Amino acid sequence: MSTILPILALLIFPGGLFLMASGLVYEYVDRKLVARYQNRIGPRWFQPLADVVKLLAKEEIIPHGVQPELFTLLPVVGLAGALTAALYVPLFGFESAYAFKGDLIVTLYLLSMMTLCLGLAGSNTLDRFSLIGATRTLTQLFSYEAPFLLALLGPALAAQSWQINEINSFSQAHMPMLVTQVIGFIVSMVGLMGKLELPPFDAPEAETEIVSGALTEYSGRGLALFRIGKNVEMVIALSLVSSFYLGGLAFPFPGMSPVLAGILNVLIFLAKTMGLLLFMAGLQSLFARLRIDQTVGLWWRIGALLALLNLLLVIVLKSLGVGGYWL
Amino acid sequence: METKKVGDKFVVPIGPQHPALKEPGHFEFTVDGENVTGATIRLGFVHRGIEKMAEKRNYTQNLYLMERVCGICSHVHGLAFALGAEKLAGVTVPPRAQAIRTIIAELERIHSHMLWLGVAAHEGGFDTLFMYSWRDRETVMDLLETLSGNRVHYSANVLGGVKFDISDKQRDEILKGLDFLEERNHYYLKVVTTDNTFLGRTRNIGTMSHEQADILGAVGPTARGSGVQRDVRVNAPYIAYPDFPIKMVTEEGGDLLARTKVRIIELFESFRIIREILDHMPPGDLTVRMGRRIPEGETISRVEAPRGELIYHIISNGTEFPERVKVRTPSLCNWSSISSVAVDHKLADMPMLLVGIDPCFSCNDRMITVKRENSSDEMSWDDIRKIGIEYYK
Repeated sequence: MSTILPILALLIFPGGLFLMASGLVYEYVDRKLVARYQNRIGPRWFQPLADVVKLLAKEEIIPHGVQPELFTLLPVVGLAGALTAALYVPLFGFESAYAFKGDLIVTLYLLSMMTLCLGLAGSNTLDRFSLIGATRTLTQLFSYEAPFLLALLGPALAAQSWQINEINSFSQAHMPMLVTQVIGFIVSMVGLMGKLELPPFDAPEAETEIVSGALTEYSGRGLALFRIGKNVEMVIALSLVSSFYLGGLAFPFPGMSPVLAGILNVLIFLAKTMGLLLFMAGLQSLFARLRIDQTVGLWWRIGALLALLNLLLVIVLKSLGVGGYWL
Repeated sequence: METKKVGDKFVVPIGPQHPALKEPGHFEFTVDGENVTGATIRLGFVHRGIEKMAEKRNYTQNLYLMERVCGICSHVHGLAFALGAEKLAGVTVPPRAQAIRTIIAELERIHSHMLWLGVAAHEGGFDTLFMYSWRDRETVMDLLETLSGNRVHYSANVLGGVKFDISDKQRDEILKGLDFLEERNHYYLKVVTTDNTFLGRTRNIGTMSHEQADILGAVGPTARGSGVQRDVRVNAPYIAYPDFPIKMVTEEGGDLLARTKVRIIELFESFRIIREILDHMPPGDLTVRMGRRIPEGETISRVEAPRGELIYHIISNGTEFPERVKVRTPSLCNWSSISSVAVDHKLADMPMLLVGIDPCFSCNDRMITVKRENSSDEMSWDDIRKIGIEYYK
């Protein structure tokens, strides 16, 4: 029994299958929200699932000129990276399954695996659209990664810890860092959109220029896995940002029955992540696509500087001894 | 698939089938990283042989054929053909018919420009603007449907007049629709001139100087965006435009922003002139009798289509069938402006640049004679077929 439970936790709930399924739900909510913002009807609730089922049922075409092993392996590795990252993040109202000192950094790198795999997948093919898409994906990785990391380091510095669940309990006990570190919150949200290649940062897959970017040559299973991987990444990253900036997730609720506390925690999780998604969908529909040079410029000229400023503020205030409920 | 390289350059093909293109065309952009170093255009994927078809049909049938040259500006094509045929036949169309023709032409301009705004926004990745402008465009589509019964091929023209009248009820509906559209377009003008992300994709992109536009023979909003005073409605007024003069809208920028602004501001002129005509609708008949045979002769008729100057050259041999109908559509004049300004832009600007001239592929594709050494100019069907097979091998 003691060996079965962790395996179940890994494969079925809350990781693995459940995480993938909830990724589809989040994709649906995102698509529906953007559609409503754009005055469209939007997809039906099962559309993301139907897309994935259809893709899984289709033939996977391996084009000429690619290394077949790499071609089939990359989507799996990308998805595996995202799923592994889920272990260290408090998901669906549960505390993170595993934790160690410095798991924040590991989680961030696991989340970047997806982008790296995308870049590799694009450069593995001979297709010109894929090659340009891969170049743009990797260029974008180098532009948003540093500010995003810096934006998540703000809460870490405030909590004096590099461990996600410790930062989580810190933000439970203090003023939500959305208020105390507004700049960090905004940078992390926009960084998240860059990471997920959502508009206006969708230059790597701008359909009117390079068809589908790095994924142009992908079909069937590989494409489905990449899509699931992206959805999983969205759920994890949203949980990460809500646990850091929105006053934490997975409250212990001392003295309350475990079932009631669990239900409350799930509701809190849904409210916080969906709230973030609402905000993100709004940003997605507000802007025209940025060119890749504009994206890089925006991140290094404004994003990185803002994130550094945020860090500096946290460090100075901390060393001045400002603290208590606020920091 | 092999990576095609020209010298050491990397070529990105756009088309014939590509998500950026709504119609087939082929563009090859030589890029160095993200920078475009060269551009070539190849057209001719949707040649339909309409000019040849016209020789086998009588003038009435041709009117319907010509409306199908373009799926967006169907009215002006019919109009230009009818104007030419009427000029040859020496027929004067009654003023009420001319007023109705003008109203339909301006309504068509509104629908075409709003469609363009949506497409341009989509190419720039601004899907919200795309959805909004197309939603509001439905208003003018509904108006056209109320008037003619059709959304796209209104078929308003007959030789010698128009097919339908505008009743008082329809008039009120048009006025109501125009008020709504005017308000919306003020909003869109504000969006395209103040939204920083959209400005980042249009300002100083594809800048064409006044001289360049003049030399390249650009027409329509593309030319007017560079400050060239070129608008047939003003330069050589036709139908009701002499009585209801239009003010030419020009911008000096020459970039995509200027072209966008020209197109939107032009709409306010269209709203104004439709209102004016509806207020002073001349009474009278809708048609005048016109014989099936057109006297011998040749003529040129020019109209201002939403994309620019449209020219019809009709040669009549005195029978029911035209000897030759030559169509010169505005897109054809504007292509060269793309290839000459594409260099030194980013690859990401190319779809916007292509759309900037509001291209219409199918209406400008035409027959090209292939001349090879050691072969006569005349080619048999089998020869053409053989060349085709060899080319695509």
